[in-house]
Amino acid sequence: MKKKHMKRIVSLLALGAVTLGSLALPLRAEASDGSSYVYDGYTYDFYGNAKESPAMFRLERTISAENMNGIALSGVDDVCTSEDGRIFTIDTTESRMNVFDGDGQLLISTRLVRTVDGTIALDETGNQIMLNAPEGVFIHEKQKEIYVADTGNHRIVVLDLETYGLLRIINAPEEQIGVTQFNPSKIAVDLADRIYVVVQSSYEGIIELTRDGEFSGYYGVNTPIVSLTDHFWKSLASDEQKAQMAKVYAPAFNNITLDGEGFVMAVTYDSAASDMVFRLNSKGENVLREEGNTPVIGDVWSMGTSDIGSQFVDIAVTDYGTYALLDRTKGRIFLYNFDGELLNAFGSLGNLKGEFKNPTSIAWLGDKLVISDKTLRCAYILMPTAFGSAVLRGNENYYFGDWDEALVYFEQALALNANYEAAYSGIGKNYLMKEDYETAMYYFKMGNNRTFYSKAYNGYRGEWLEAHFPLIMILFLVLAAAVVGSEIRYHKQSKIKAKAAMKLRNSRKGRATEE
Amino acid sequence: MKAIVKEKLYYLKRAVFHPFDAFYEIRFRGKGSVVLALVILALFGILQCVSYQYTGFIINTNELASMNSISIFLTWVLGFVLFIVSNWSVTTLLNGKGNLSDILKVTSYSLVPFTCALIFQIFVSNFIILEEAMIVYVITGIGIVWSLFMLLAGLCVIHEYGFGMNLAAILLTFVAAAIIMFLGILFFTLIEQMVLFCISVGQEFIRRL
Repeated sequence: MKKKHMKRIVSLLALGAVTLGSLALPLRAEASDGSSYVYDGYTYDFYGNAKESPAMFRLERTISAENMNGIALSGVDDVCTSEDGRIFTIDTTESRMNVFDGDGQLLISTRLVRTVDGTIALDETGNQIMLNAPEGVFIHEKQKEIYVADTGNHRIVVLDLETYGLLRIINAPEEQIGVTQFNPSKIAVDLADRIYVVVQSSYEGIIELTRDGEFSGYYGVNTPIVSLTDHFWKSLASDEQKAQMAKVYAPAFNNITLDGEGFVMAVTYDSAASDMVFRLNSKGENVLREEGNTPVIGDVWSMGTSDIGSQFVDIAVTDYGTYALLDRTKGRIFLYNFDGELLNAFGSLGNLKGEFKNPTSIAWLGDKLVISDKTLRCAYILMPTAFGSAVLRGNENYYFGDWDEALVYFEQALALNANYEAAYSGIGKNYLMKEDYETAMYYFKMGNNRTFYSKAYNGYRGEWLEAHFPLIMILFLVLAAAVVGSEIRYHKQSKIKAKAAMKLRNSRKGRATEE
Repeated sequence: MKAIVKEKLYYLKRAVFHPFDAFYEIRFRGKGSVVLALVILALFGILQCVSYQYTGFIINTNELASMNSISIFLTWVLGFVLFIVSNWSVTTLLNGKGNLSDILKVTSYSLVPFTCALIFQIFVSNFIILEEAMIVYVITGIGIVWSLFMLLAGLCVIHEYGFGMNLAAILLTFVAAAIIMFLGILFFTLIEQMVLFCISVGQEFIRRL
């Protein structure tokens, strides 16, 4: 069927090319600069079938070497945004932090760190403070600070958000325990000013520092998968053999961010990890909600043995819990809402403008997404389409409890994509909150959401029982009366029988004595 | 006629509650019925189709859009036919006393508790919430265990086997079933190749003429 369809398209194309000659076919509305690249996406339905979906995002702008005013740009390794719309990017190879405004204008490019007053900053030994192969940047809005992971110098440089001047330097904490080297790669700072530092390939977890840079412990647990065959061979092996076997270490976290409620969210692309996306509570346990129809693992199916599945290099979270995961295997972005429902998956590897080679980082800029690519040396700014904003607004309003608003947006989304289970589910939840159980049931059925259907049905059944209570009560009473009545009758009959039997026995006895 | 039907149904009921006694009667006194057995098997197949579609939404995770009732029916019914045939072929070699019709009767009669549990499941699952689904699963589980017990008891009686021998025979039955399936697939593949060969010879012939 599909093949036939394809054939028809190909033949149509050929026909078009022949008849129109040099006239370009507007297959996809793409400008010559590729700026309107549209990210057609897909979602998964309950049965794991990929369902085509209209694009949620399209390419708005590319930040590349052209925007750098002559300063070299060798790659974009991390992206972070501030609330006022500035985009902070890290270029590891050139050891620079480049700051752009929302329109892609370069505001500042820092390698040599200056003081707040604008003079060159010196460290305690009197050397200039130069960034050396930094890997991460984080904006801490609460204290108006920029945290730069100065990986090559094993330190964290804290800058002022307004003047980009040096505030302080966090060196490797002296009292740190464990074997992890202090090579900060990615940073997050929570609302209590605790600093979380990800060190690549550290199996001990995320390093947690106090605001003053004192070591307070390792944070987050990540359990490795132990395969059954490994377990079998280990059970047979002698101690010497076991010592030679490769040790199974806890998988490292690879990237980290903070969600709107102050929870740390982290990702890993270690294939040995049992979880790939984490929402860590204060004890360091994973409390990520996975209530969607597919688990939060990106692509559900893998094609053949060479397909290693999605590998998440970065995560970006909105205030309303909707998060985007950046997959480097296929250059995809997976968008999940707070409940873990897949909203859309889009993007691909390739050579077109808007496609990726080696995606490294993702960040939200309001409703827009900023995605960086190391090999292409650029950052894309993606803006939501009508469908995209409807979905995002719907989830936002639902998250904050504005049911009526959310309903409007989900209905808009549904009008643009009738295969959208997340929207059906969203509408259903709104009706459930309004206690319109029957409508909610219809939408949950369309959205294949059995957990919530059950909740709606529970309400519906309760209402039905309440409405028909007299009838049920009468039926119950009739039944009870019938049971009791038959019991009494049975009892009576058995009494009569027993009496008759007694009489019979007595008369027999009497006869016996007479004889 | 009516009396016969009544008797057959009576022994079906007796087989459910007293399998050893009833299967003895069926085997040695001709109280069973092949027709009834076939009807039960067909009903079971139909009920499986019904259950695929009409089990309540909450515990029904089947993809209804791609439902194929003929495939479901044949999968279940032919599965049991395969079991019957391979059990017969194994037990014939292992001194089993039961013949093909006995095995058919025992197998089909044993499906009755499972079928009843299935009807219960289809009906009740439409009126439950997720938290109550466990009840349905338990009832279905009881039905399946009951059916298995009847099957084991019945095969013991008709083949005049001990318990261990019966289990061994059933294990061998599965091996035999695998062999039958392998031969079946081999047969169809070879036939297909032969047919294709004939067709291409024919085409060649027509083109040369």
